[in-house]
Amino acid sequence: MMNYKPGILKALGLIIVLQLVCQFSFGQVHTFEAGFRLQKTVDLYYENGISGQYHLTKRITLGATYLSSRLGSAIGSNAIKQDNFLLSGSWMFRPKKPLKPFVRANLGYFIADYESDVFKSLTNTSAIASLDAGLAYSFKSPLRLNLSLGYNAITGSGAKGAGTLYPVFYQTSIFWNLAKRKSK
Amino acid sequence: MKKFILFTLSILMLISCNKEPEIDSSMLDSGLYFDQSIYQPEKYLVSASVPAPTPAQAVSPVIIAIHGYGATTFEWDEFRTWKGSRTDFSISQVLLGGHGRDYQSFKNSTWRDWREPIVTEFEKLEKAGYTNISFAGSSTGSTLILKLLAEGYFDSHIKPRHVFLIDPIIIPANKTLTLVGVLGPIIGYTKVDNTAGEEKYYYHYRPYETLQQLRDIINEVRIDLQKGVTLPVGTTLKVYKSDNDDVADAASAVLIHKGIVSSTGNAPEIAMIPSKLHVFTRLNHRENTPASSDIANQTKAFSEMAYVLIK
Repeated sequence: MMNYKPGILKALGLIIVLQLVCQFSFGQVHTFEAGFRLQKTVDLYYENGISGQYHLTKRITLGATYLSSRLGSAIGSNAIKQDNFLLSGSWMFRPKKPLKPFVRANLGYFIADYESDVFKSLTNTSAIASLDAGLAYSFKSPLRLNLSLGYNAITGSGAKGAGTLYPVFYQTSIFWNLAKRKSK
Repeated sequence: MKKFILFTLSILMLISCNKEPEIDSSMLDSGLYFDQSIYQPEKYLVSASVPAPTPAQAVSPVIIAIHGYGATTFEWDEFRTWKGSRTDFSISQVLLGGHGRDYQSFKNSTWRDWREPIVTEFEKLEKAGYTNISFAGSSTGSTLILKLLAEGYFDSHIKPRHVFLIDPIIIPANKTLTLVGVLGPIIGYTKVDNTAGEEKYYYHYRPYETLQQLRDIINEVRIDLQKGVTLPVGTTLKVYKSDNDDVADAASAVLIHKGIVSSTGNAPEIAMIPSKLHVFTRLNHRENTPASSDIANQTKAFSEMAYVLIK
C-alpha cells in the first residue's frame, strides 16, 4: 500500500465532492455556488469566511456559511475570536435579471472564545436569528456578487446572551457558480 | 414616488426638530443642583485642599476617582465615607466636564470635555509635587482613563501607581447605542428611570449628541485595546466587573484582559463580581435596598484598593 499524506487525501476528497456537486447540479438543473463572505458588524468586528448556496428554484436559495473574526479582526490583534455557523434561505426578486434584490433569513450558532477561566461565568454562546436584504448581481461569467445589510434579532444584553453579538451588519459575498446553468 | 419621498422627508424633518425634553425642578438637568465640587472644590479635590504639600504629604498616595457618564462626584462619595478619618491616603473626586450642571451643558459637551478635568487635576497634583498618584474610574470614567493610557499621555508625566476600573464600559449592554447615529436625530434624547434620590445626582435626560460621544469614546478605546496597550513602567491595573451588568456588558472585561499588558508583559488582574449592579461600589439611592452581598462586594473592593494604595 502506498502511504498517502492526510493533506493530499483531504484535497482529493474535496475535489471529488465538488465534482459530485457539479454533476448533481447538472442532473437536477439546479446550481451550486461557493465563495467568500466578508462581513462587518457595526461598531465591532470584521468577520469573514466561506459560504455556499444551492439554488433550489429560480427564486429560492438555500445556503450555509461559516464566518469568524479569526479570518478578520482577530488576525494579528487582540480582538475576541468568535465563530458564526449559519444556515440560510433566500428569496430572489426579478430572478431573470442580472441585478436581483433579495431577502434572506439566517439561523445559526455563535460562539466566542474568552480564553481565560476568569470569564467562565459569562455566556459565550448564542443562537443566531437574523435577516438581511440586499442586491445580487450575476455576471456573464459564473461570478455573482452579493451586497446586503442585516439585523441580528438576538444580541447580548449584559444580563443574558453573548456580549459581542451585535445587531447590525453589512456584508458582501463573492460566489462562483460551480455548475453554471440557468434554472428552469 | 417623488411625492412619497418628499412626504417622508418632511415627516422625518418634523419629528427630528424641536427635541427638547420637559425638565422639572426635581432633576439635576434643571440646573438647580450643581455638583457640590463646583462650589467647594477643596472638599473634593486634593489640589484645592492641599495645594502646597509637605514632603510627607507629597509622597502619600492620592487617588483620583472618576465617575461615569451622566453621573456626578456622588458616585464616589461612598468611598470617601468608607475611608472616614484615615489619613494614609487621599481621594480627589473629579467632576467630568459637562456633568453635574444642567441639560444644555451636558448636551454641548464632548468626551474630550468630559476628560479635561481629569487631566487638569492630575497635572495640578503633579505640578504641586505629588508623586504617588493613582486612578479609580467607574463605568465611562474607566474608559476615559484607558484612553489616556492608550494615547501614551503618561510618557511625558509621572507614572500612575495603580489604576482601578469599576465596571468599565467597552461593550455596551444596550446594543442600540450602535444605532445612535441613525436614530439619535429622530428621537433627540433618551431618559433614565432614576430613583427620587438619584435625580439630583444623575442626569435624567441623555441628549443623543452625548450618546454619540459615548459611542465614539467606547469605539476608540475598543480599537485601542484591539491594537494593544502597554501600561507605563510600574503601573498596575485591576478590573472589577459585575458579571450581570445591564449597562456595561461583562465582555468589556474580556477586551481589557486581552488588550492590556503591564510593562513586564503580564495581563491585568480581573475580578468578576457576582452582582447585577452597574457600578457595584455605589449603593446609595438604589431602587432596592442593597443586599448583604452588595455591601460585602463594595467593602471588599474598597478594602483591596486601599490596601494596594498604601502598601
